[in-house]
Amino acid sequence: MVNLSDLNLSAFLPEILLTAGLLVLIIAELVRGRASARGIGWGGMALLGLLIVVALTSGNQAGSYLFGSLVDDGVAVFFRVFFALATMLAIGISLFTFRKEGEPYLLLISSVLGMFLLGGANDLVTLFVAIELVSIPSYILAGYNRRDPRSAEASLKYVLYGAVSTGIMLYGFSLLYGLGGTTSIPGLAAAFAGSAGSPTIYLIAVGLVLAGLGYKIAMVPFHFWAPDVYEGSPTAITAFFSVAPKAAGFAALFRMMDVFAAPAVVAGVDARFLFTVASALTMTFGNLGALHQTNLKRLLAYSSIAHAGYILMGFAAGTFEAYQAVLFYLVVYLFMNLGAFLVVDAAGRKLGGEDTSHIKGLGRTSPAMALALAVFLFSLVGLPPLAGFIGKFYLFSALVKENMWALALIGVANSVISLVYYVRVIRDMFIYEPEEAKVIPMTAGLGVLTFAFLIPTLVLGVWWGPLAGWVAAAMR
Amino acid sequence: MLSWIIFLPLIGAGIILLLPKDNPRLIRTVALAAALADFLLCLPLYAGFDATTAAPQFEQRFAWIASLGASYHVGIDGISFWLVLLTTFLGPLCLLGSWGIQKRVKEYHFSFLFLQTGMLGVFCSLDLVLFYVFWEVMLVPMYLLIGVWGGSNRIYAAVKFFLYTMVGSLLMLVAIIWIYLHSADPATGLRTFDLLAIYQSAKPAFQAQMWLFAAFALAFAIKVPMFPFHTWLPDAHVEAPTAGSVILAGVLLKMGTYGFLRFAMPLFPDAAQAFVPVISVLAIIGIIYGALVSMVQPDMKKLVAYSSVSHLGFVMLGLFALNAQGVSGGIYQMLNHGVSTGALFFLVGVIYDRRHTRRIADFGGLAKVMPIYTTVFLIVALSSLGLPGLNGFVGEFLILLGAWRANPVYAIFAATGVILAAVYLLWMISRVFYGKVDKEENEKLPDLTLREKLTLYPLVVMIFVMGIFPQFFLSKMETSVRVFLESMPR
Repeated sequence: MVNLSDLNLSAFLPEILLTAGLLVLIIAELVRGRASARGIGWGGMALLGLLIVVALTSGNQAGSYLFGSLVDDGVAVFFRVFFALATMLAIGISLFTFRKEGEPYLLLISSVLGMFLLGGANDLVTLFVAIELVSIPSYILAGYNRRDPRSAEASLKYVLYGAVSTGIMLYGFSLLYGLGGTTSIPGLAAAFAGSAGSPTIYLIAVGLVLAGLGYKIAMVPFHFWAPDVYEGSPTAITAFFSVAPKAAGFAALFRMMDVFAAPAVVAGVDARFLFTVASALTMTFGNLGALHQTNLKRLLAYSSIAHAGYILMGFAAGTFEAYQAVLFYLVVYLFMNLGAFLVVDAAGRKLGGEDTSHIKGLGRTSPAMALALAVFLFSLVGLPPLAGFIGKFYLFSALVKENMWALALIGVANSVISLVYYVRVIRDMFIYEPEEAKVIPMTAGLGVLTFAFLIPTLVLGVWWGPLAGWVAAAMR
Repeated sequence: MLSWIIFLPLIGAGIILLLPKDNPRLIRTVALAAALADFLLCLPLYAGFDATTAAPQFEQRFAWIASLGASYHVGIDGISFWLVLLTTFLGPLCLLGSWGIQKRVKEYHFSFLFLQTGMLGVFCSLDLVLFYVFWEVMLVPMYLLIGVWGGSNRIYAAVKFFLYTMVGSLLMLVAIIWIYLHSADPATGLRTFDLLAIYQSAKPAFQAQMWLFAAFALAFAIKVPMFPFHTWLPDAHVEAPTAGSVILAGVLLKMGTYGFLRFAMPLFPDAAQAFVPVISVLAIIGIIYGALVSMVQPDMKKLVAYSSVSHLGFVMLGLFALNAQGVSGGIYQMLNHGVSTGALFFLVGVIYDRRHTRRIADFGGLAKVMPIYTTVFLIVALSSLGLPGLNGFVGEFLILLGAWRANPVYAIFAATGVILAAVYLLWMISRVFYGKVDKEENEKLPDLTLREKLTLYPLVVMIFVMGIFPQFFLSKMETSVRVFLESMPR
């Protein structure tokens, strides 16, 4: 007989609140219909804002609950806050696009539920269900521009690739279960702590899981869907894709890190080696792919692939500091990448397209937006004194500490390659003269959102102590 | 105090951002006022500077990111003191010299003042993170200065400049991280980025030193630029607007040599010692190669640009002589080069403004048309080629003396550079200023205007002062140089 108090539902409060709020919003959408589409968006932002507060004040009791399927610790809190914030800001960007339909907001919020569960997943089954809960709304969102064949193509690609990769990941899970005899993540970690049983099968399982999750984070060579999906989806949705579901993939990897730590070496290959190769390939191909892009959405898609590679450097190092660096980088990446998409979205809506030719001379016509985009891009390069520099700094520190020189140098080389295409955008905006006198009109909403991304990108570059402290505390 | 000097240009840049775009005169005035005020702020530094100690002065230190051991720590010693003065001295002159810029006046002055803060920050930083931040911050405004206001091939040059410097600095970043991870603050035992604390702690093992020195040296060698990393320089110099070239040659290149002096050499003394032959030979190749290439340039600006490669080779040779004469000569030559080459770029800019060409072949007999211009040009050129009594002589003499004491062969080869400098400069002067005025367009060129005189005369005065009273400058840096040399292995 299960006693309700044994379930320890207080830790589950954010998820319960989120579900209840989502239901209210769905009913409101049904009742009010199109008349209040943006009201749904505002309601969603308010709900997520509330959840951030709840997540920060409740929880952190450091224990597993719901029969060990979820865990409540600092990292779970971190991910709740992160995903709620990312989605809230993504909804903010979407408000410009979805004026007549409420469903996108509902879909965005429902995927947050999956992300919350991922952040606290303590069991392979929970992890899997949570990933699907994140993915399914994403498939619909990718195809939301119903009249645009590219959007439909994007959605279909996303679904097909997603289905295959999920299968691969599940196969990996089944192998892990076979080796460890449990689906509980701490249980598996304990089972593999001394030895991995059969190192070969263990490494195959790790590789399969990495492949499945690699699809989520657009890791090379499972990244093929990303540029097409990113280009085909509505820009506001692309912004969301590039941050939240990607970070969800990293959250899943993060939760699995103890499982990956088994001492298994086959022919010189171990789990760290797999991550190192994945990281090197991802950033290199991401950056090389971005080099000749003229569509800004595609360019940012490749750039976000490259950034997944940088973040994977932390997983390759696999130390406490490295995971701290990963979490730190995710926060920084949230602001700078969403910020870049905000400007690209505005350019797409007001200047007639997202090609580099559309933003020619933006520094003359809309200096504020151009300056903001420049800051975001330079932050993505990792130039001080911007937040991206500090993020990379921590990642590189983790590598140097582990004496992983080869990967560090590949990372350095990649930063230089990335400079080429980011600077090309800067050049188009500031050095070239505008061809036509279209401007991005500065509205209050756009201004507020721009600053919401700009201020953290600037401030975290010179005063990142509190964030670093918070991340460190979450890890403890 | 020092922080005010560093950030005053940035405050000026902030004010400019708020000014209306359609009043270029106001923008120029505000920028000039900020730069001039910055220079005046430096004068009390001179009065309060204590030449008997090598410890950093006018020090300011605040905890920045305590958990990381990074602090905001600035201070100057006898070496950086002069470079700060040079930077703030050239700043207002550059703005005066680019008074005629019409394109995007607001953005131009914003970038320039921003750059000024970055450069001053590099010279004053005593914390590795702070130093790196300032070091990188300079890239963006310099990129824009070259890319927006430069000549026809400016975009290529700007990107090249950006990429070259970025490659070097990222490797340096990895090395900085390594130092940090192996550092211990003597007071607390924690890791630190504080330069003074790192100076005092034990040096890394020789093998590690070699790698770290190489990473730092690459970043700085690109900036100097040393042969064979110099190829960005002629492009950037030639395409940059006049004031950009001046600041590039006058101050930016010094970041590289200063970096060797402040970071690469004292942090890894054994590796520096081991690298002496390599760097000296590269420096000599740079001296001779730069001079030879200068000689055949048809374009005056390119000639001056390549002569920079040659002059900076002298500086490097002096620093790596690792004796008092060589090092003080190197530092002195850094200042000289800032003044003389800066002036040369201004002078080339003056003639370019009038004729929109810099080809030597397009001129001839200018001495008759523009007598004042010719006189100034002659003085500056003579200082650049090292005529006794002018500033260049002091620096080159000390460097050659130091090099001779280190290895006479180096000195002999380097001395040919002095002769070659005389050849290419005097040959250019004879073609541009003497002979008949054989081109109609050159017959009515106006001589220097008041603004141009205001820009150039202070530099000419400095050329004489530094040539006649070198002790005035050298005495301030003596102690710092001695302490620096004591940190080197014997």
